[in-house]
Parts: sequence; structure tokens; C-alpha cells
Amino acid sequence: MKKMICLTINGKEYELAVAPNMTLADLLREELLLTGTKKGCELGECGSCTVIMDGRAVNSCLVLAVQASGKDITTVEGLETEEGLHPLQKKFIENGAIQCGFCTSGMLLSAKTLLDKNPKPTEHEIRTAISGNLCRCTGYQKIVESIKDVSEGR
Amino acid sequence: MLLPKFEFHEPATVEEACRMISELGGKMKILAGGTDLFVNMKKKLLAPDHLVSVDRIESLAQLDASNGSLRIGSCVKAAVIAESDAVKSAFPALHEGASKLGSPLIRNLATVGGNLVSARPAADFPPPLMVYNAKLVLKSSQGERSVPLTDFIHAPGQTALLPNELLAAVLLERPAAHSGSAYIKLGVRQALEISLVNVAALLTLDPSNGVVTGARVVMGSVGPTPLLSVSAEKALLGEKPSDALFSAAGEAAASDSKPIDDFRASAEYKRAMVRELTRRALASAFDRVQKQ
Repeated sequence: MKKMICLTINGKEYELAVAPNMTLADLLREELLLTGTKKGCELGECGSCTVIMDGRAVNSCLVLAVQASGKDITTVEGLETEEGLHPLQKKFIENGAIQCGFCTSGMLLSAKTLLDKNPKPTEHEIRTAISGNLCRCTGYQKIVESIKDVSEGR
Repeated sequence: MLLPKFEFHEPATVEEACRMISELGGKMKILAGGTDLFVNMKKKLLAPDHLVSVDRIESLAQLDASNGSLRIGSCVKAAVIAESDAVKSAFPALHEGASKLGSPLIRNLATVGGNLVSARPAADFPPPLMVYNAKLVLKSSQGERSVPLTDFIHAPGQTALLPNELLAAVLLERPAAHSGSAYIKLGVRQALEISLVNVAALLTLDPSNGVVTGARVVMGSVGPTPLLSVSAEKALLGEKPSDALFSAAGEAAASDSKPIDDFRASAEYKRAMVRELTRRALASAFDRVQKQ
């Protein structure tokens, strides 16, 4: 039997009926067509499904849609504002921190929660913050540099 | 990867949760952080008919520090424990264990209670909690009981938790004055890693003569459950801290360990790492006593 949930995604409120066994990742991608959130391993190991839930970055493949009821969710689609792309998105593009792009939305959201809490992180703190996000292109250096650039206002 | 179908229940209180757990019995699994449970369900290792989510019960999500002792609700997230100043200052080994679990993303979901009930031999929470003599509060509709963590984990995935019980909280007493503690995890990478070996250690010294009056060494991944090394404790008690003493305690801990050869490493290598990690954890614990 489906359950009713209410949640906020990228500032917009939704009231939805969902199956109990639907994950938040599937709700976003399959029902709401917010396909910026990727599914890689689906076991919490790769971080490509990262979303921000009530200020914390989580693997949306390990959260049920029903568990997200009442929560405030940000996906990569929510980073852009009227003023344009988020500074992290701009730096990722400028620095070539995107290769195949599959890890990018997760990397951006992990980086955003880091900078929201700790605007001037050390390189070690940056690397720890994205340690749950795998880049199979191994393009970590440019990702780390982009986050550092944003934190230093470059 | 689809989750098998189940009915979802979300009790608002511990009492309601206990009632549901005893009514639904073996067809049910308790859902806390979900980071183990959903993985096992996706791999079709588990297919419970009902999930009872205790994740929204407020009293289970509270971490209370008073007079140095701690009460950690079973649904407190690893990230919250890792970020707690009360934990960092008085229970540094627990801080280190919570900070090394999974990844930042996993730590925002995974709970201390889930980590203990999963009872994996390589888990990050049991060794630090065991050196602090943690006690667990188990609740059921019939009442509650307290069990030392050392008696809780029986075998991989098997604990003292009865089918009608819910792990409600973890209780820690402040370590005696002049104590230091540390936790070290060894893996081949820094995140999302299952320990090859992990060791937590605690040292208490007599400030008048510097002699060890209390010691505990707990080793993970080198037996079916986390192991308390009685030999290491014996080697340390009554002695004055030194590099030689810590090395001897490492030897003693290695002799108590029961590692097996597996795809992660050979038993011989793991035993050697118990020796080295015990030495390092004790040195770090001693360093912390001196810095107080």
C-alpha cells in the first residue's frame, strides 16, 4: 500500500504517494525526473546518489522515500539560482573538474555541505569531505582544487 | 537494484515500538540508519515482511552528557557522535571510532545502535565503547535491562538482544582521572573501508608514581567478535609506561588474537598488525594522559 509523504525538494513542496520500498534516489529520478542525481553502486559505496537532507549529505540510495517525509532535500538541480550556476559549479567547469560527469553532482553536494559548515577548509578536510564520493576517472586533483578555489574566493 | 516489498511502520515512541516489535516478531526488522539493512535487503540476503523504523523516535536520537558520563541514544548518528565536543574531550577513542566509520555520507545515516546490533567483527564502534566499559539499555514491553557490551556480541550478527527487545541507549561512565585512550583503524584506504585490524586502548595511571592502575585493550577483525585482551591488561598493570612495555603489551594482545586467513589479509599479517596497533594505541593513550 502506498504512503503519503510531504517533503521539500529544492525549495518546492511536494505531496506524493509512494511505495514503502521506493528509495529517495528512485523517487527523485523515476517519479520527479530529477535525473541529476545519479545511481552507481546503489549500496552506499560510490556517492553518486548524494543529496543534501536537512543540511547533511547522504546517500539517497540508502534512504526510503517515506523516510524523507518532512525533510528538506537539495539535489544538484537546486544549486543553480537566478544569478546563475553555483560558484562550485562554475569552478568545476572552469578547472576541468568534470570528466565523465557521473560523480559530479555528488561531489558538488558534498562540497557544498562542507563549505556551508566550514568556509575555509584545509586540503585534508576537503579530501575527507569528498571521501564518500568516488571519481572513476580519478580526477580528484581538479575537484579538490575547485573546492579550494571557491573557499578562497578565487 | 530494488528493495523487496515490505510494510513500513513508524512508531512515535519507544513504548509503541516495543509493542510492534513483539507483535510482529520474526517477520520484522528494526530500521535505524539503514546503511547495513538496506544493503542486505538489496542483495536479497534479507526480505522482512515488516520494517519498524525507530529513526524518528526523538528520545533515541539524543546524546546527553552530564558530569562526564554519557547517554547515547541508539539512533544517534555516527556523525553526531564524531562532532560532539563532550565525546572528543572525555572519550577520544569513541570520537576516533565514530570519525572512521564508512564515509561522511554513511556517517550522516548510520547509527551507533545499528552498528552494535549488526555485530560485525570489524565494526568501528564496539572496540572504543568496550574500553570505556559501555553498558547497553535494552527495552521491551515487559521492562528494561542493562547488559555490558562485552557480553552483548556473541558471534558475527548475533547478539544478546531478544526478539522482543529494542536497543535503546548506550551508557558510558567517565574514565577515572589520569586516563587516556585511543582507537586506531587499519585498512587499505581511508574511507569506506572494512578494517583489516582495529584496536582501542585505555590506560589509567597513578599520578603519584606513574604506574599503570587500569588498562584495557580491545581488538577488532581478529576473531568472531571484538576481543578484550586479558593478557595485554595483565602485562600493563602495575608497570611504568615505556616503549618496551607497550611493545610487550602488543605481543600479549597478538597472542590473544584469533585472526583467520581471508581475502583481506593473512592471519600472520593481522597478528603482526595487532602487535603494532596495540603499541601505537597505548603510546597515543599515554600521550593523552600526559597532556591533561
